[in-house]
Amino acid sequence: MSLRDDILHLLDGAQAALEAERDHINDLNVYPVPDGDTGTNLALTLHGLIAEVEGSRATTARTLSKVVARGSLMAARGNSGVILSQVVRGACDVLASRTAFDTGLLKEALDAGCAAAYRAVKQPVEGTMLTVIRAMAEAAGAVSDTAPAASAIAIALDAGATAVEATTEQLDVLRRAGVVDAGGYGLLVIARGLAGALGTEHAQRRAVRTVVGDLAASADVAASRHVAGLPADDEKPSRYRYCTSFLVRGEALDGAGLERFVAAQGDSWLVVGDAGMVKVHVHTDHPGTVLSYASAQGEIDAVEVNDMHEQTRARTRRLTLTPATSAAVAVVAGEGNKALFRELGCDGVVDGGQSMNPSAAQIMAAIEEFSAEQVVVLPNNKNIVLTAEQAATLSGRPAAVVPTLSIPAGLSALVAFDPSRDSAANAAAMEEAATHVRSAEITHAVRDSRIDGTAVRRGQVIGLVDGRLTASGDDLRAVFSAVLQELARGDIEVVTVLTALNGFAVSVADLEAVAGEACPEAEVEFREGGQPLYPILIGAE
Amino acid sequence: MSTLTLENTALVADSTCDPPPGYFDRAGMAIVPLRVHFGDETYRDYVDLSSGAFFAKLRESTVHPTTTQPTAADFETCYAELRRDYEHVFSFHLSRLMSGTYDAAVGVAAGMTNVHVYDTRFVSTAITLIIERVRARLEEGVELGELEAYVDRLLANTRLVFQVATLEYLRRGGRIGRASAMVGDVLGIRPILQCRDGELEAYAKVRGERRALDTMAGYLEKHTTADDDIRLALFHAEAPDSLPPLRQRLRAVRPQTRFVLPDATVGAIVGTHSGPGVFAFAMVVE
Repeated sequence: MSLRDDILHLLDGAQAALEAERDHINDLNVYPVPDGDTGTNLALTLHGLIAEVEGSRATTARTLSKVVARGSLMAARGNSGVILSQVVRGACDVLASRTAFDTGLLKEALDAGCAAAYRAVKQPVEGTMLTVIRAMAEAAGAVSDTAPAASAIAIALDAGATAVEATTEQLDVLRRAGVVDAGGYGLLVIARGLAGALGTEHAQRRAVRTVVGDLAASADVAASRHVAGLPADDEKPSRYRYCTSFLVRGEALDGAGLERFVAAQGDSWLVVGDAGMVKVHVHTDHPGTVLSYASAQGEIDAVEVNDMHEQTRARTRRLTLTPATSAAVAVVAGEGNKALFRELGCDGVVDGGQSMNPSAAQIMAAIEEFSAEQVVVLPNNKNIVLTAEQAATLSGRPAAVVPTLSIPAGLSALVAFDPSRDSAANAAAMEEAATHVRSAEITHAVRDSRIDGTAVRRGQVIGLVDGRLTASGDDLRAVFSAVLQELARGDIEVVTVLTALNGFAVSVADLEAVAGEACPEAEVEFREGGQPLYPILIGAE
Repeated sequence: MSTLTLENTALVADSTCDPPPGYFDRAGMAIVPLRVHFGDETYRDYVDLSSGAFFAKLRESTVHPTTTQPTAADFETCYAELRRDYEHVFSFHLSRLMSGTYDAAVGVAAGMTNVHVYDTRFVSTAITLIIERVRARLEEGVELGELEAYVDRLLANTRLVFQVATLEYLRRGGRIGRASAMVGDVLGIRPILQCRDGELEAYAKVRGERRALDTMAGYLEKHTTADDDIRLALFHAEAPDSLPPLRQRLRAVRPQTRFVLPDATVGAIVGTHSGPGVFAFAMVVE
């Protein structure tokens, strides 16, 4: 294997380790701004660095070190990415001159990485990535040059882990949020990934405590304090809105002049690089001003502007989103109806209804399918209520059955469903909601008979309201009209019509016209339900 | 220590306080407009565009409007003018989780003396209701420290609940807060939201306007007692007919409720994010 392959192997190890922790690192991120993107920034920095190495044809230690240093600078995103790029650059300066990797070289590389990072940050704050790289460098520095490299690495990683855990107490903002510094932890994860790829067994051993208390609670604390413009704490969290970073390329760039300008435009600024290429990172309210100044100095590239207020809100939302306590399961017939139940937040839909009752086992399987602790079941048919209750009893988790007798009633009950409440509270609210609904159905008589005192011929259209025959005849529209008028005798406001008109010479538009006359005051909504046997199902409330 | 009164203390809000007509046309009262943009056209909320004109435009326009906060210069002019004639300025703004307006105001106030800026953590007429209560204290005369403590209590005891016809506008503007998972816009569902901790969140969803009105009356009942001193204000967006039945239901639940402001209408800024078909009340319990 070539040296280039070796380096890619190491970087792949670091990237894999970081990807595994990326989301968690995002969640830890409260400083300097709780914008929840440290994990992403570090990952993208590493990703860009790897792409740069993959795209290069360098083979020697000297040329590859240059590619790595330059690649990390170009790819650096966010505060943490830029600081990482400086650690990498410092280490590369040392590694460039040597070929054999031993303890002495490791110590020098860590030292140089640490020094470069401190140089880049003009007002270093402890309890951050800087503290972690320094702890690692110092711990390795105390190891004898003759000791095996593997043990020096183990000692450095252990010191890094201790330093990460200590960051919580070093910054008020971290202590209040009950987290370790996201960048510091990210740096340790990368170092462990590198060591893992080197084959150092110890690398992944020790668990690092990254959260003290409740991360969701930390989100509220951090966001309410830092969303913008808040009085600065001791550690001065950034109050500016836009995280802005870009590259400037040119000849004989005036890095110091650029730095002075950028420093006056905001905070958390980092200006690093050399006369040929400079990376700028700053939190500012005026990204345009910074960019237009820089574009007069050289060619600008890789411009990235992120609204940290929006990111902060997103992090808070992510961490405070109430996990679902309850899931809803319903027995439904018809593709359109099933889609409607899902649209309204129903987690599980079991196929079934009149004349095709599902088994208790089928309902139970649906109850147990979801990660929610508790379940509410809507049978939506009187022949299925008992089966549903049986399934609820047999199931291993708390399940409540709301005995809905029709699909329209089930829909109304589902409107009251709130996944953050437990199943008993949901069942009570949903039962209450279902009591307001009157259900009607229109179907065909299957034989000649007398229903509720009226003679009905086989094949005639019949309309039932709350199970009682209300109208019959040969014209679907006339029966629909009669049913709506019966419903409108009660005080109705919202009507849902679920249709399955295949085989009828009647369109939804025809029915809409009928509804406009039969109940002009109500809000009537038509949906293609697709249920068998019933061309029309109606819910009115 | 001097006593703060209406003679020496001015009151400011941004235009998202959706006041009843003419409310701020008084000495020592000022409103700083946010701006609404339809494509290239820019209007100052309430100044260049009334509520009615805005909703008419919203219906006709092919582009969806966007909104921007006042500039620091807007606040600077307003505060400096008032400070010439008034010793203190109290300035009340919509939740900073919804807009950067508070930040702009507080940045300006930092360079001045006796300008007290508040993030009310609310929006719309709830802010005018807060100002109305502050005015009442200033009418009597109050010490600075006492007024500050009073405002803090006031903000903690305010509530805002409303129905929207659709969640589409809140979603589009990204102002939906913790209610993002809420289901609406099908089967005549009326989403009912409240503003809590500076953000919107789902309170209930029901079908039909009548149930929405009942649920809002239930909200008042749940969050007050029969002995509470309740001050309340109603407002709406393109739903004036819903206010009389709402008032009637609220009275039935808590007969002691005092409606302390004329009914108000949502302006262009709040309207951009709420859409038409909103009815709402804000309340303070003291």
